[in-house]
Amino acid sequence: MKLTTTHLLGVSWRPVAMLAAFAILGQPAFGASVPPPISIEDPAQERTVTGKVLSGDDNSPLPGVNVAVKGSTRGTTTDANGAYSISIPTGNVKLVFSSVGFISQEVTVGNQSAINLTLAADTRALNEVVVVGYGTQKKSQLTGAISSVSAKEISELPITNARQALQGRAAGVDVIQNGSKPGAGVTVRIRARRSINASNDPLYVLDGIPLAGNIDDVNPNDIAGMEILKDASATAIYGSRGANGVVIVTTRRGKPGKTVVAYDGYYGTSSPQSLIDVLDGPQFAEYKRESRRALGTASGGYKDQAGVPVPTGTTNAFADGVLFEPIERDGITANRTTDYQSYLLQTGKIQSHNVSVLGGSEKTQFGLSVGYFNDVGIIKNQDFSRYNFRLAIDHQISSKLSVGLTSLGAYSIQNGDNFNPYGGALQENPLGKPYDDNGNLIFLPTSDGLRTNPIAEVIPGAQLDRTKRIRMFNSLYASYKIIDGLSYRINFGPDFTNRRVGRFTGSQTNARRGGDPTGFTGYEYQFNYTLENILSYQKTFKNVHNLNVTALHSFQRDDVETGNMSVTGIPAETQEYYNFGQATIINGIGTNLTQWTLNSYMGRINYDYNDKYLLTVTARADGSSRFGANNKYGFFPSAAVGWNLSNESFLKGSSWIDLLKVRASYGATGNTAINPYQTQTLLTRTTYAFGNNAAYGYRPNSIGNSDLKWETTTTGNIGLDFSLYRGRVYGSLEVYRALTTDLLLADQLPSTSGYDAVLRNVGKTRTQGVEVTLSTVNVKSPSGFKWTTDIQWAKNQEEIVELFNGKVDDIGNSRFIGKPLTAYFDYKKIGIWQLGEETEAASFGRKVGEIKVEDNNGRSADGQLTGQPDGKVNADDRIIIGSQVPDFSMGMTNRFTYKGFDFSFFLFARVGSTIRSGFHTGFNSLAGRYNNLDIDYWTPNNPTNDFPRPNQSQESPAFGSTLQYYSGTFLKVRNINIGYNIPESITQKMRISGLRVYASAQNFFNFSEYRSRYKGIDNESFDIVNENQSPATKQFTVGINAKF
Amino acid sequence: MKNSYLFIGTLTAGLLLGTTACKDALVEVPVSQVGAQYINSAAGFEAAGRAAYSTLRDFYGREIGTNLTVFGTDLYTEGADGSYKFMNQYLSQFDGRVDILRDFWNRFYVGINTMNIVIDNSATVTGIDAALVKRRVAEMKFLRAHHYFVLTQTFGGVALVTKGNLEPTKVFARASVKDMYTQITSDLEAAIPDLATPTSDYGRATKGAAEHLLARVYLTKATSEAAAADDYAKAATLATNVIKNYNYALLPDFASVFAQGAGEINSEVIFSTQYTSDALTAIGVAGGAAVQGNQTHLYFGMEYDTQAGMQRDVFYGRPFKRYRPTTYLLETVFALDNRVNDSRYKKTFRDTWLSNNPSKTTPIFDDSKTSLKFSAGDTTIFIPGFEMSKAERAKRPYQVLVPSNYRPNLFPTMQKFLDPLRPDRTYEAGSRDFIMFRLAETYLILAEAQFRLGRLPEAAEAINAVRRRAAWPGRTAQMVITPAQVNIDFILDERGRELLGEMFCWFDLKRTGKLLERVRAYNPDAKANIKDFHVLRPIPQDQIDRTTDGATKFPQNVGY
Repeated sequence: MKLTTTHLLGVSWRPVAMLAAFAILGQPAFGASVPPPISIEDPAQERTVTGKVLSGDDNSPLPGVNVAVKGSTRGTTTDANGAYSISIPTGNVKLVFSSVGFISQEVTVGNQSAINLTLAADTRALNEVVVVGYGTQKKSQLTGAISSVSAKEISELPITNARQALQGRAAGVDVIQNGSKPGAGVTVRIRARRSINASNDPLYVLDGIPLAGNIDDVNPNDIAGMEILKDASATAIYGSRGANGVVIVTTRRGKPGKTVVAYDGYYGTSSPQSLIDVLDGPQFAEYKRESRRALGTASGGYKDQAGVPVPTGTTNAFADGVLFEPIERDGITANRTTDYQSYLLQTGKIQSHNVSVLGGSEKTQFGLSVGYFNDVGIIKNQDFSRYNFRLAIDHQISSKLSVGLTSLGAYSIQNGDNFNPYGGALQENPLGKPYDDNGNLIFLPTSDGLRTNPIAEVIPGAQLDRTKRIRMFNSLYASYKIIDGLSYRINFGPDFTNRRVGRFTGSQTNARRGGDPTGFTGYEYQFNYTLENILSYQKTFKNVHNLNVTALHSFQRDDVETGNMSVTGIPAETQEYYNFGQATIINGIGTNLTQWTLNSYMGRINYDYNDKYLLTVTARADGSSRFGANNKYGFFPSAAVGWNLSNESFLKGSSWIDLLKVRASYGATGNTAINPYQTQTLLTRTTYAFGNNAAYGYRPNSIGNSDLKWETTTTGNIGLDFSLYRGRVYGSLEVYRALTTDLLLADQLPSTSGYDAVLRNVGKTRTQGVEVTLSTVNVKSPSGFKWTTDIQWAKNQEEIVELFNGKVDDIGNSRFIGKPLTAYFDYKKIGIWQLGEETEAASFGRKVGEIKVEDNNGRSADGQLTGQPDGKVNADDRIIIGSQVPDFSMGMTNRFTYKGFDFSFFLFARVGSTIRSGFHTGFNSLAGRYNNLDIDYWTPNNPTNDFPRPNQSQESPAFGSTLQYYSGTFLKVRNINIGYNIPESITQKMRISGLRVYASAQNFFNFSEYRSRYKGIDNESFDIVNENQSPATKQFTVGINAKF
Repeated sequence: MKNSYLFIGTLTAGLLLGTTACKDALVEVPVSQVGAQYINSAAGFEAAGRAAYSTLRDFYGREIGTNLTVFGTDLYTEGADGSYKFMNQYLSQFDGRVDILRDFWNRFYVGINTMNIVIDNSATVTGIDAALVKRRVAEMKFLRAHHYFVLTQTFGGVALVTKGNLEPTKVFARASVKDMYTQITSDLEAAIPDLATPTSDYGRATKGAAEHLLARVYLTKATSEAAAADDYAKAATLATNVIKNYNYALLPDFASVFAQGAGEINSEVIFSTQYTSDALTAIGVAGGAAVQGNQTHLYFGMEYDTQAGMQRDVFYGRPFKRYRPTTYLLETVFALDNRVNDSRYKKTFRDTWLSNNPSKTTPIFDDSKTSLKFSAGDTTIFIPGFEMSKAERAKRPYQVLVPSNYRPNLFPTMQKFLDPLRPDRTYEAGSRDFIMFRLAETYLILAEAQFRLGRLPEAAEAINAVRRRAAWPGRTAQMVITPAQVNIDFILDERGRELLGEMFCWFDLKRTGKLLERVRAYNPDAKANIKDFHVLRPIPQDQIDRTTDGATKFPQNVGY
């Protein structure tokens, strides 16, 4: 939802201080709070004007348009048919018509009693008002780098949480979804990473309150818009928490006028994008034989009755008889392949239903919504449900005093968060049988004691892993206009989270393998509150000097209590995790308390000269309990300038430039994210016994450092905003460079010191990047056909500048100067040792058929690295294989509308990163025991250089870790959406004011080498594609949006 | 007007809430944690001492401990399972990056730092009896010597740290083996007079334990770079002291040494790592990550549980089948013709399994039969220990596992460490104390020292003390050896018979200089790969990478 305020800005700038406060909380404040100049009205002289407002887009009636008498408090809104009626005083009255997404119009009433008009759609994004921290700003007056994601973009995807909506929509915001487990979160990185040890997660601000928890409890349907603050000018007002960027989430609020009741819902199915290709029955048999052939004449080898090894390519009945157990021989004879994956999979279901009621009067507005979301995964026993309600109220007590509240409740249940049965299915011997002839499950399908039947894992009651969350987030405010231009606001945000985990693992599972059932429960109770006092002053001097000053004091406290208990020996499996008192063994119990406090002062000055020259100066001081006694407070200043070239006389008459602005900012922000108590030297409790008596002890565990302070990121940003050809082409360009100093780095210690690390403020990283946001209206024909394109492209680079030893690589942690924060450091596979290379292979301690890695380094006599091969492969030969950071990422959305139809598709690409594929190590042990990925392995008859020879004597191939690195490049058609707005002629008969039906497809196309060549499923990952999680899914949904 | 009051009220409340108590609020109080000052108190002094003991659990009863002592020897090779077969095979993967090796190193040094802190704090601690402080210091020196002794045998000279450290530091260097032994022997010699005989805290270091350890240290030192002429004499004296001066005695029955429960505390045990059956004191943190009881019950078993008539149960254990006896162990050390005299083969290995799952009739490895039928309690598997003929096997209503059918998952199961007192069949946290020193070993230390001193009759007598106990009733005479029979190979074999699996073997082979010879001769999986440099293990790479000046100050052992 985009906020249009042309009418407001056209009227007056005066009450912006107060409005800014409202604006944090949503849009309606603008419509509702048109300032009241003194006017003495004579009711006797009033008359009524009526009319109808149409949309310039398609000439349909436009409901919800604000109709206000200019210069008074009077106003109304149009009804579902676009009709309005307003009483006006006599005199020279002007009516102002405004609506979100349309260009406002001012009409002189004169003698007219009926005024019909058409509002032109507003494509000039630069007139939007965006939410900035502690206020709002017209986009043309912004000096910071801010991206926005609209409610429309959020609503296009069937997403679990709002963070997913950021993917591909905002330049410089890198969002990665790992796997497809229902309820799983995502990783969000704004402008790459800058911190090695502290968090790189952005700060989330919900309805003005900086969150200590997450935003995933917020129903995406309730969100009016999200703004992503990226540079120091925008984030410095969040001081010590701004370094990783700030995401401001604003929820929807009511507005005066007719009450709008809406229902939004969808239902869909999900299925795996593809399945993991493992060996089938006959392939497995041959693979197992080959693993024994590799042993040659040694015991356990694949040998005939005379003890002679049977060569590759031939089989031998005697050798088979020794090697295979009866069930396997039976499987070989029957040519059996048991596809265990299929037993665990089901068609997933996803659904969402939301009802909202928005409305209000001039003085009181409200928004009420309830929602239900349910995602049933493609793996049995994995699902996620969430129930939401939300209430937002704004009330004007007097012309000076307003109060309001947002209250948001969520209850969610996630099943299977830690439940990962899939790996078992991939590793299970395909020659075995899951059920006996009577249809009973065989718990051990083969005699391999470790491989229990994977189907047993998903039998109802066998395993429970349930997380319940209750969240109650509130944001209350009162706002008072002290004198003209000066207002005071107080925000109070109590936020409660209660989380409870219960796990039960029954006897007939792989984890227990017939042992007693185990159980675990854990709870987490979090109370966080924020209290803020804000003073704002806004004034224009001599019509050209616009000044806006904000001052803030903020206090935030967080309190987390946790507890847990784990037991073994639950007497009856039906008790699940509900009666630990009857369990035979208590394995462990624990409780904990973690607290932190943040006390802050902030000031900001926005000044502009005639909308041409812009200046923003901010400063924030944060004091945190987490930091050492010597460094409680940090100070974070920033400054930014902007120049609206398009408001200069030499461009003002330009026929093709609507807006052209350059801006530059420089400033510092911090990263507070170390855990409480890390500055203190603490003791760890140890466990021992003398005889049978407990002998718990305490020993030093960490070295405290009372000098610890914030990591500080200094960012310089240059931006260009433009709008050309009356909004046909608009967008922005950002270039930035950020240097992070005083990194909170675990200085790795040799453990001969008694410790493995100490936290220090040492080290530096640098990030830099380019971000492009471009929107075009490609076609806009009179027939009503419209085609628009939104593109975002970003290249963010990260680099380690210094570590704890200065400009010296930290090999033990794979950190290298000049490289990204994490790099893959390993041997380089150059092939497989081939027949004929026996001698050379032996000189490296290897045999043919094994992985050949590069010998690229050695040491001179004095222990210095030479960079030359030395005939030995050891730790010195490891090199940097790649990094997790992509070269660039981009998103593109194309939208087409024609009459009632709309169609859009959304592409997302990430190019140039390296990922690790857990499948290629975890399920690629090539030991001839468990089932294996169907890969091209070496045999004497198949001299491939791809994968080594199966060998029974290994647990995993030597240098097997070299098999896991793959390109992370992919291009996805993230979403295809087609919708139709049912014509009014039909909806009127149905007594509804608007109805859209749509269908959408997610992730149906996913292009990557990892998929096409290496049989992976989805390489969307920051690091490792975990081998034991559910395969990535695609979804198909249908939905409706109805308004009553 | 009333709106103004409301406003003023709100403003006042807001400002009050917001600004008062801010100063105090930024003071961090870790309510749920214990701060460092505690360690300076009397209670903290005692607590740190107990924490030092806990690091014994980072080696004894752990996979790293058995991998470093059982694998890659003449007596044991790899079984079917496990991720560390390369340690048995002496492959190039066995380098400084092996996780469990690094963990063992790290946790032992955490323990050493704790011991050092206790020793340092002993000078200033108040509120605790001075005699007790003295004894605690002696205990810490005993433990410190023990840790350094294990490290030195494993890695050669390592960083020698003898001061408690509360500051981050990275400057370390490898001490010479000589320096290591100087520290180890001086610690033990200082500890012996201050240590008591057993106290109510069973499991604390005693005088006898320190003398036993020092005897073993001298025996080991004698073949190291630090060798001194009187090492063997000292070892012999100390071992004799342990045998003579305390109430230790060999139990009449070899099998009862490994009785569980109340029997774990007996007159033969000199020192042991303490484990319990209470999960709360068996599971927890020692020097680093979580410790889950004594896990040795997992590693030596064969895969009985998938066989006909059988399922896994608590009594027979959870067979990880990591370690498989070599042919040399089964056929030479425990020579078939001597098993009628020596009870230790029978008492060390389980040879019979009784059906606990009669309805299961497959699989069958015994090729003398095609089908089997059991009632509960019937014998299902028997390991005769010799190559019984097929015809003879065919007569038996159960599977007979003969040597030619031994496989990586089927082999005689060492039962010393089995733990039938575990609450359920998958439970890993075993409760057995891990016996580190026992009197039978004292005799064998004595025997080896006497042998090296050329006193063959005394050596034979010490060995015979152990062998007499091991004899089947009425077979004592056949067990007794003559002085002429004593040689180093015999001593090694005798240690194998008596102390199999008790985390000695690799150290024994190294001490006697027989590692390469015997591994090449008897370990089929390791013989092709073992090289001269394998008498030392690789220094964890993290230690090298994190030390100032890295490999130049903290060089890797040659060959790795």
